[in-house]
Parts: sequence; C-alpha cells; structure tokens
Amino acid sequence: MKIVTIGTGMAAAEFVDVLRKEGSQDEIVMLGDEPFPPYSPCVIPFFLAGEPLSTVYWKGESFYRNKGVTAVLDSAVAEVDAEKHMVRLNNGRTENYDRLFFATGARSWYPQPQWLETNGVFGFKTLTDMLAIDDYIQEHATRRVVVFGGGFIGVDAALALWHRGLEVILVHRNTRVLSQMTDEDGGVFATRKLREITGIDVRLKTTVTDIDVRDGVLRGVEMSNGDSVDTTMLIVAIGVSPNSEPLVGNDRGVVVDETLRYDPHIYVAGDVAVTPHALTGEPGIYATYPNAMLQARTAVRHLLHGDATYNGSINTNVLKKHIDFPIISAGTFEGDPVTWQNQHLFRRVYLQNGKINGYQLIGDTRVSGYIYNLYCSQVRVDKIIAPILADNRGDSYYRSLMGFSQGQLG
Amino acid sequence: MKKIYVDYEKCVACKACETACAIEQHPSHNLFGLLGDKKTQINVRVLAVEHEAFPVSCRHCEPAWCMDACPSGAISRDSETGAVILNPDRCKACAMCAMVCPFDAISFKETHRSKYGRDVAYKCDLCNDRVRSHELPACVAACHSGALSFREHDQLRRDQAVKNLRVYLLGEEKLPKNFELYRELRRKEFARRSGEK
Repeated sequence: MKIVTIGTGMAAAEFVDVLRKEGSQDEIVMLGDEPFPPYSPCVIPFFLAGEPLSTVYWKGESFYRNKGVTAVLDSAVAEVDAEKHMVRLNNGRTENYDRLFFATGARSWYPQPQWLETNGVFGFKTLTDMLAIDDYIQEHATRRVVVFGGGFIGVDAALALWHRGLEVILVHRNTRVLSQMTDEDGGVFATRKLREITGIDVRLKTTVTDIDVRDGVLRGVEMSNGDSVDTTMLIVAIGVSPNSEPLVGNDRGVVVDETLRYDPHIYVAGDVAVTPHALTGEPGIYATYPNAMLQARTAVRHLLHGDATYNGSINTNVLKKHIDFPIISAGTFEGDPVTWQNQHLFRRVYLQNGKINGYQLIGDTRVSGYIYNLYCSQVRVDKIIAPILADNRGDSYYRSLMGFSQGQLG
Repeated sequence: MKKIYVDYEKCVACKACETACAIEQHPSHNLFGLLGDKKTQINVRVLAVEHEAFPVSCRHCEPAWCMDACPSGAISRDSETGAVILNPDRCKACAMCAMVCPFDAISFKETHRSKYGRDVAYKCDLCNDRVRSHELPACVAACHSGALSFREHDQLRRDQAVKNLRVYLLGEEKLPKNFELYRELRRKEFARRSGEK
C-alpha cells in the first residue's frame, strides 16, 4: 500500500511516526510546501527570540530518513483528484496514493495581500516566515516592530520580538488582546498585565490601514485612529484560514466522519479538519496540538486496524511565552459566571446546568489541570467551584478526594 | 513499572523528602549548595489538608496527558523505568503540560537545567538515573516514617489485601500505636486551631 501525506506539519509527522511504530512497512510519501523537516509551530517563535533552530524540529532533523519516507518538499499541492486517487502538485508533478492523509494546516490571512510585496512586511505562521524575519532584523538592524493583530499568533509574535529586544507596538481592533480566548473582563485583565510585565505598547480598537513604502522598503504604517508610526517592520497576524482548497475547493475546512475520513481513502487531520467538539458536538476547526495528535493517532489506528473512532476535539489552549504569565482558556463563555481574582490572577468559569461550559485561568496554572478534568468529565460543580477557584495552595483536588469540604481554611 | 506510593497515614510532614529531592536535583548534591540558590528545584511538595499531610508529586501516569500535550517533543517516557521525563533543553515553558496535569505536578522557573536563561517546566523524574542503577528515588530513601515506598502496583495491592485481612481476622494493629497517638494529637491540634479561627 502507498500512503501519501499532504503536509509535513505536526499531524502528518505524528501520523507517520505512529504508523512506523505500529510496524507499517508501507511506502510513504510526504508532500510539503516548505523545504524543512517537520517542525513545531508552537516552538518556532523561540528561534526569533534567540534559541537554536534545531529545537524547532520536534521529531528530529533526520525525520524523513529515520522513518524511511520519501519527502517531496518545496512544492505546493494544487488539487486532489479523489476519483483517480491522485494528487497534482503546482509544479505539474503527480503522485498516486492508496491512502491519503490530508493535513495541510492553515495559512495566514491578509487583508491587503499586496502589502507582502513590500520588504519589511511579514506573516507569522511558518518557519519560512521566521527565517525571513530573522534575516530582515539582522540586515536592517530593526529596532521597532508593529504587530497587527492581537490574537494568539499576534501576541506570540509580539512577545518573541519583545524578548529579542525590539520595541513592540501591538495593534488590535478589539477592546482587548486574545479576544477569542477571553471574555471582556478576563481579556482586559490579561491585556493590562501584559502591558505591565513587558511594556509592550498595546493599541486597542485600532487597525493598520495603510503602509508607507520608500524604495520597496517599509518606512511606516498608518492606523485607523489617525496615528502614524515610523517602523521598518510590520507583522500581519490578524487571522488564518484552512488550506482546504485542494480537496474541497473552498477555505472552510474539510468536514470528516467519525473515522476522520473525507472519503474511504482520505483521512483529514489537524488545523484543516472540521470535527465535532467532544462535549458539545459543535462542529468546528479546533486547531490545537493535542487535537491534531489524537486525530493522527486515530487515523493510524483506523488505517491499520479498521476500528477506530474519533470522539471529538476539546478547545482548550494556553498562551505562556517568554514571560511567566499563562493565559488559559477552554469551552464557550456562556452561562453563569463564577469569578475569583486578586491583583495577579483572574479565574472564571461559566456554568450551565451546574457544569463547566467554559473557563479562563489567567496568571498561573495551579488549578488548571483540576478544572480541565472537571470540564472534560462534565460533573456538577456548582456547589464546590467557588473555593476551587480561590485555591492558591493546590489542595482542592485532594480535599475533594478525601471528602473534606472545600477551602475552609486558607 | 515501580512507582512511588504514599501511605498518608504514616506521613509526619517532616519534609525530609523535599530536602532530599532538592539535594538530588542540585548540581552540588549538597545541602549547603541549596542555601540561597534561587535555581534550586524541588519536585515534591508536602501538602497539608486539614489534619492530614502528605507529599504530592508527579504520578508518571499511563497514558500521560502532559506528554500528549507537549508540542516541542520535550516529554518522553523511559522505556525501562516507565518514568515520564522532561527534557529542559527542548522545553519552551509553554504550559500545555501544566494546563492538563490533574495533579499540579509541573511548575515553572529558571532551574540549573535551564539552557537559555529563562524559565522551564520542571517535575519529578522519578530519580531516573538512580532507579536505572537499582537505587531508590531520593525521596523514598529519605522517608523515615515509611510513608513513601517504591514498588510495583500489583505487589502493593496484594500486600494491602493481606494486611487488611490480618487486621480484620486476627485483630492486628492497622497502624503502630505511636502513629495512632500522633494522628490523634494532630486531629486535636487541628480542631483546636480551627476553633480559634
């Protein structure tokens, strides 16, 4: 059997890794649009912050050779012909498959794609982006950067470049950064703390509307509030869209069945797959690493043994980069909020029928694993949750285990 | 695999485990090397809950959620000892592991193993090097009261079952008298202090 993966990202690498661990001797071809071994997108910003490039290759730099894989790199996929079991690449080459693993991930979405033609304007998604940014900073001795977009990737970019010593201006159209991971109160708290800890200049309710270019190089940006800033570097990180066009003809992701298949011969996983939420059933793209891993492993099990089902994704995520200030969030922020906060921490869960529907834990990780378990297991917590949120000793799990009431003594 | 088990009824909260762990993890392997050193790493914590106290740490779960959550390839399992090991050279301190650990067993700070002058995740490594050379983990070796043991789960269960039977059928003591007295004392002391509050 010939197995082809489209993508060399985390889902595809895990898929191939597990296939080999399970003893598969099949011919495997991995198609990638970048020239690298599999790398971790979560890790690549640390390269910009000064850490070695080798650490981004989370499964090793000799992955393709070690796994006995034919890697066809630097070539994007144009389309999948599901009837003929064939993949057509942009360079005209074709590849036949018996089983296809479609894990193309997502790409940056740009409001003004022509901005990218200017030297000094970058996306912040791929290792190619990181290497280009690194080269540019060294070449132009860049001191100041404007990051447009205050979502996960934008904040990630801002912190990495702040860590490198650049002056960072973070421009975001919402009332708070990380507006998808937080509600208004949590996000405002997180934004204030990020400003305090890093000194990053966060400009809210603002967008970058135009760029100032001289001799093909960026000189400044203009913002919706009328401000203009001199800068030779702009990072655009205002959103991503899934690379689902080669398979379904649009960028809305690929809907899969409970075996993660699009058709009997095509598995789909990672940031391009539309899967149900494990607790609510709500279909969506739940683009986090643990979901991609579980999907890849489920696909291997199904491919080799024919009996695996995917139970759904969990939308939990954490942003803790370069500073000791984690921002954790999961679920949806609907229901009755229960909040605990002090000067340094903000913790809130949303309850529906007494069960956790969503949560934010900002400032530390102390109770996060316990809350994650209470969320995943969907047990009733309305009578016990308030003291758990106030737990600063990490004893609330053991209290419940030993049958003590929660948090009578501090 | 052998794991570290806690018999909380026998813990007297002396924290010898914490000290032994800190010494084991410290590059000086010396008590005095720890003093005033902010990078000192302690992978076990004696937690007081009401009148009880017991050490808590990583349980080297199978499957290990932290390992499945780590996006930088920093967490792996030693195939020989079963220990869940965190490689600080690869760790980016992103907290994905800590976010899902039910036991709050993963912490962050700049330790002596930090390579890049920033915080990393750190947790119990089951004293993997010691265990590989057939020694006890440092905390277990240091435990004077018998609260900590290092053994196979099946053996532990069998021993527990035999002991429970002996208590039930032969009327043997469940705990030595001095432990019973100590526990009684702690209960009363706790009740007195709670009353004061």
